[in-house]
Amino acid sequence: MIETYFAADTLGTPGALLTAFVIGLLFGAVLEQTGFGSSRRLAGVFYLTDLAVIKTMFTAMVVALLGLRYLMAWGWLDLSALYLMPTVWGAAVVGGVLFGLGFVMGGWCPGTAAVGAAAGKLDAWVFLGGVLAGSVLFNEFFAWLEPLYTWGDVGVRFVYDSLGLTPAGFILAFTAMAAVCFWVVEFLGWRQGDAGEVFAQPPFAAFTLTFLVLALGLTLLPPQAFTSPAGSARPGDRELLSQIEAAADHVEPEDLADRLLRREAGLIVVDVRPPEEFAAFHLRGAVNITLPDLPAALESHKNLGTIVLYSNGMTHPAQARDALARRGYTNVFILTDGLLGFQERILKPASLRSEPVPPVTAARIALWRTFFLPGPKPAS
Amino acid sequence: MKLPESRYLNSYVAGILLGLILLAAFLTLGAGLGASGGLARLAAAVEVTVAPSHTLASPYFGAWGESPGRYYLVYMLAGIFLGGLLSALGAGRLYYTVERGRRCSSRLRLVLAAVGGLLVGIASRLAQGCTSGQALTGGALLLSGSLVFLAVLFATGYATAWLFRGQWHD
Repeated sequence: MIETYFAADTLGTPGALLTAFVIGLLFGAVLEQTGFGSSRRLAGVFYLTDLAVIKTMFTAMVVALLGLRYLMAWGWLDLSALYLMPTVWGAAVVGGVLFGLGFVMGGWCPGTAAVGAAAGKLDAWVFLGGVLAGSVLFNEFFAWLEPLYTWGDVGVRFVYDSLGLTPAGFILAFTAMAAVCFWVVEFLGWRQGDAGEVFAQPPFAAFTLTFLVLALGLTLLPPQAFTSPAGSARPGDRELLSQIEAAADHVEPEDLADRLLRREAGLIVVDVRPPEEFAAFHLRGAVNITLPDLPAALESHKNLGTIVLYSNGMTHPAQARDALARRGYTNVFILTDGLLGFQERILKPASLRSEPVPPVTAARIALWRTFFLPGPKPAS
Repeated sequence: MKLPESRYLNSYVAGILLGLILLAAFLTLGAGLGASGGLARLAAAVEVTVAPSHTLASPYFGAWGESPGRYYLVYMLAGIFLGGLLSALGAGRLYYTVERGRRCSSRLRLVLAAVGGLLVGIASRLAQGCTSGQALTGGALLLSGSLVFLAVLFATGYATAWLFRGQWHD
């Protein structure tokens, strides 16, 4: 497993900055070599006179997404090591409209304008000035724009989950669509007699065929190839919700009591209530970490051992567990019925229980009470 | 003699190279490519120099602190610029010009570029990325929001292209 600068939280170190510079150098050079330092060529995509933008962009996307999934399948890379942008439906749509309009008007997008500016295009310099001004305006009017910025925020979401497809199934459909588009575009260009030199050429056929073979190969991999061996890939909504439905994210009070009693190694019980409530009473062996501090405090226990969250009830721990699961945690559980349930099912004396208690259970209850209750131990 | 424009790299070869560069970014940085983020950081750096207390108290740029320029996307942007410069120099495509159709004045072209840039600047902040950082990178990661952004971007482009066609008329 490769640890990225993002995963190590070291994107601000000189090594990461240098790496970003070198990647930018290659990115800029390829953009210029492809002719994307020309606004006329870029704008041509919208007038169907030059489809290079579409061909290059979709090829790059398919190469990167197939490569990424194979790296994941081989255990080289994990989605938790990557920065994943949240899906904000409203902002994506409104941003897409404004961006499309700006792209057509200006003839540039930010990356290509940087290349065009370097190549001496004055319209690129003016466009970049506009982007800087637009960024400042966004900051100045942020209070006003914020509802739009967060409109429809659903967190990290993958398109195959949104569509209810498997990752491999979606990738195959996406790749096939790209390959068909390339063939149609090249066929039409060949019929018109211009820019059709690659149509029906062996390298082009081999290129599209390779895409399809690689995408088909992904469907043959077991589904767990898309989650890491350590199981630390972020779960999709479907997976998360089915865990919740099956109560697979719960630990029963009896189970937790026994595991605490025998001081199970690698068990971390976290009380997420405020410190005052923790001071008044808490489960023996529990640590107090309030909700905002959870991700940082638990980072070193991610997918190592068992983490159990509890509060008085179940709402806050369940929400926290959900948030941690989305960050790739697979070892976080919540205590069924919370502390209130624990008091009812573990700490309540056998004599006060409404149902008859068999002697074996009564002995367990006495043991639990001795272990968990503070102060002088009641004589048995 | 061939025109410099005819020596462009094949679009598919370019796509394969860009895809591999994006993969390299995933493997090392753990983040994809980006351009608008670097520009926004530069804008914040300018604003923080001109009006430090106002900027540091502002809700969006303020979170980036006193030196917003110390960010990987700023260095990537510098790389993009230098890479473009070296490539244009090597290919003999380095010259001052305002790209436009012959029947369009330079002034109209520059006004459209400025307004377009302004819209793109706002849109990139709103959508948390541009064609590189959101559409290409997020698309390769198969993120729902990125693909919606990409689809809406191109749909709007095609729907409105007719209005701005004059700037390219010869």
